[in-house]
Amino acid sequence: MSKPSDLIQGTLDLLILRTISLEPKHGWAIAKRIEQVSEDVLQVTQGALYPALHRLEQQGWIRAAWRRTDTGREAKFYELTKAGRAQLEKELAQWRRLSKAVGLVVRMAP
Amino acid sequence: MKLRRRWDIVRIRLRSLFRRKRVEEDLDKELRFHLAQQIDENLAAGMALAQARRAAHRKLGGVTQIQEECRDMRRTDHIEAFWRDLRYALRSLGKNPAFTAVILLTLALSIGANSAIFSVIDGVLLRPLPYPQANRIVRIFFHSASYPRFPMNPFDFRDFRARNRSFEALAGFTRGDLQLSGTGQPERFTGFQVTAGFFDVLGLRPARGHAFSTHDEIPGNGQQVILSDRLWRKRFDADPNIIGRKITLDAQPFTVAGVMPAGTEHPGNEYNGVAHGETVDLWWPFAFRGDPAHRGSHYLEAIGRMKKGVTSTEAQAEMNAMIAQLAREHPDYLTGWQALVIPLYREIVGPSERLLMVLLGAVGLVLLIACANAANLLLARATARQREIAVRTALGAGRASLVRQMLTESLLIALIGGGLAVAIAAAGVRTLVSLLPAGFPRADTIHVNAAVFGFTLLIALATGVLFGLAPALQASRTDVQDALRAGGRGASSSRGHLRLRSVLVVGEVSLACLLLIGAGLMLRSFVNLLRADPGFRPEHLLTASLSLPDATYKPVDAIRFWGRLTASLDSASGIRAAGVGTDLPWTGYDDNISGFTIEGKKPAAVLGDGQEFHARYHVASPGYFRAVGIPLVRGRFFTAGDNMKAPLALIVNRSMARRYWPNENALGKRITFEDHPKEADWITIVGIVGDVKDKPDSPAAAMALWWPIEQSPVGIGYMTVAVRGTSDPALLANDLRQAVRQLDPTLAVANIRPMDEIADANISTPRFALFLVAIFAGLALTLAAIGIYGVISYAVSQRTHEFGLRMALGAQPGDVRRLVLRQGVKLALVGVALGLVGALALGRVLWSLLYQVSAADPVTFTSVSALAITVAALACYLPARRATAVDPADALRSE
Repeated sequence: MSKPSDLIQGTLDLLILRTISLEPKHGWAIAKRIEQVSEDVLQVTQGALYPALHRLEQQGWIRAAWRRTDTGREAKFYELTKAGRAQLEKELAQWRRLSKAVGLVVRMAP
Repeated sequence: MKLRRRWDIVRIRLRSLFRRKRVEEDLDKELRFHLAQQIDENLAAGMALAQARRAAHRKLGGVTQIQEECRDMRRTDHIEAFWRDLRYALRSLGKNPAFTAVILLTLALSIGANSAIFSVIDGVLLRPLPYPQANRIVRIFFHSASYPRFPMNPFDFRDFRARNRSFEALAGFTRGDLQLSGTGQPERFTGFQVTAGFFDVLGLRPARGHAFSTHDEIPGNGQQVILSDRLWRKRFDADPNIIGRKITLDAQPFTVAGVMPAGTEHPGNEYNGVAHGETVDLWWPFAFRGDPAHRGSHYLEAIGRMKKGVTSTEAQAEMNAMIAQLAREHPDYLTGWQALVIPLYREIVGPSERLLMVLLGAVGLVLLIACANAANLLLARATARQREIAVRTALGAGRASLVRQMLTESLLIALIGGGLAVAIAAAGVRTLVSLLPAGFPRADTIHVNAAVFGFTLLIALATGVLFGLAPALQASRTDVQDALRAGGRGASSSRGHLRLRSVLVVGEVSLACLLLIGAGLMLRSFVNLLRADPGFRPEHLLTASLSLPDATYKPVDAIRFWGRLTASLDSASGIRAAGVGTDLPWTGYDDNISGFTIEGKKPAAVLGDGQEFHARYHVASPGYFRAVGIPLVRGRFFTAGDNMKAPLALIVNRSMARRYWPNENALGKRITFEDHPKEADWITIVGIVGDVKDKPDSPAAAMALWWPIEQSPVGIGYMTVAVRGTSDPALLANDLRQAVRQLDPTLAVANIRPMDEIADANISTPRFALFLVAIFAGLALTLAAIGIYGVISYAVSQRTHEFGLRMALGAQPGDVRRLVLRQGVKLALVGVALGLVGALALGRVLWSLLYQVSAADPVTFTSVSALAITVAALACYLPARRATAVDPADALRSE
């Protein structure tokens, strides 16, 4: 895996964790939510979303359960585990530090 | 918390691995749901159904790719790859059963041999002694230049016990067998007289009753005895009320003071030695008799438990200080002595350690050879599979995955071999234990146990990596284009292959030579032992021992008893000679040394300053020497005339005669044991007999003298009986028992053994070592032969074309055969040369196990070289034949 996609994946992890931090969501809802909140700037492709979900599950940060949606379909809902919540805090802190640093450089560096 | 999380991850991974189908289905369902949602959204946006579907599919992208990536994320791929490798390995092993059988058999045999030897080492050397904090138990000896390990005088011992600060407990013990009568057949049991604290030293306590106190050491303070668990069960039906019961031992009443628990092991002892183990049945108090000012007799063996933190060196230093102090108080007795303190563990296993290490080294070499052989076979097969490997490489298999796959295969072989090895070891250990020399320490603790399993697993894995790595690396280096183009012959790498395989074969041959030389040296040494004149005649000789209780036999009665017994045996048919004596050849010795004066000689002139004339002393009846078969060199044997009324007579051995009367005739010379002898105190030497060594491999016989039984100044209550017959000595046992029963039915005839059995037990250690090393050497040679055969066959197959060309150009089959043979013999020669150099360097290891053979024995070295080269030539013969069997036309066409 090359460097840029690492960055994207790392960020995607943060986005997923954050998105399901309030309530359990299924994959479709997670992707929709991210698009919606980012005002369609961030497009999550399925090819990136599902491997990421599986990876987070393997890490023990999220867990999944089958539930019925409002439309009556069976869907796999993901929610944060205790370890996942801690991980989210960590990634949030890291993100804030990083974006602040990038912001500083962008503003001050010419 | 951390651990918990790790466990969670493991659980999830395992679930992904083992419920793969379910997980895959889940993913499928999940993606279908996503698709359905997308279609719904597209419909809501106003698309027609077909169009909505197409768009949704397009947006989702490659489902297979997503699935694959999800699988990657679950990280189960390398485990799956492992299963794949394993299945592949099993398949390829199954495809080639001959190869698999050879490689498995050699590995199983060599790993099994290692496990078997290891289980002996584990039981004998590694397992702690069966006493609590056994590392604090030490044996204590007196030591001087002439007597490196001498027992103590009881009164010296008592002073040490009172004065020392190093020991938590200090105890003395000395052999004291007792004859039990009153319940059933009279029988003699192995017993020891022990001082108070003996069991404290061992860290053991009686299961019933109590141990002895210093009060019991005072002469006349009641006869008490502690029984072994075995004796208590066997002769007293495990009577729960045994404590306090009176039993008759040596015709005297003894009170049972205690019963030791099962598993009470005797620490082993030197004088009238009894081996370590559950070998003792009776313990009774040692009584301090006599005058504490007279400290000349040394017969008490000492054992101590050091205080915590005290080392044996410190204990020895304190013992030396106490001896120096006692030497000032009793200068006549203690001058010139030092102390020797040896940890009990060393004392028990020390003598067998060297032997076991040599055996471990030998099986280790066999294993190395087996590894080289397995590597060789794998290399050969890798060559055959070069095309397959090339194809796989061309199809994208990475080098790492090829190495991994081949290592999986070699590890699989090694592990199956290891499994078979455990079976071989389990069977082998039983045989091994039955072959162990008599009295081998701790033989009963040898078992195939968890440690042995662990060891086997470990060496199986190590061997797998060792023999698998070289072929795997080599194979992975295969040049794809080359291999594919050459149609499987892989011309460029074949040279590298051959070089590596040649090196392996040279190594195998040299290691095999090393083992063969070891075996050869042991064989020569063993033959020397067998050929050496024992100094007596062990065939047709029955031996036994008899003990006359002091209570019923005064010295006069004992003399009369022995006289009547030998007379009655002499008159029995089928008995050629009978006699009694205090000692028997090769049964261990009592280092009874006596100092004496030789008429007209000064010790300083013969022996040097500060020395005294001395020799081991024994007692013998008139028929003793004839019965045992010790030859008379000069003079005469004892006769019935050497009685209390006759002048004192003495027989000495040749060693003593030569040492004290060099260039003189010792016959008729006189010695005395008195400091101020009267005329009647002088003893005349009437006979000189041949030497008998302490053990068959002792460097020389000790100086010895014998008193006639009727003139003996020492006790004659305990004697060995020797009966020489005309045929099978076992048939004489009944005559002996009957003769004894007629004289005194309360006596037990103990230790009935044919002398050749004793003689046999004495060479059992070298025979055991020889047997095993010979087996290992044979195995090594076979493996090396297989190795040479493999390499030469390979070389021949590589040179088919060349041979065909040569023969087409007029070379005779003999020329070609010689060419092939020369190649094989050249390898063998290099291997042999290396082996000989190695054997010379390692000779020192074997030296102490050899008898009258130099570790650089030219006969052994020459014959081993010849053998190894012959076997190598034979191994080359088949491939050489094949080389000439080729039709030149075919060979040329095969290009």
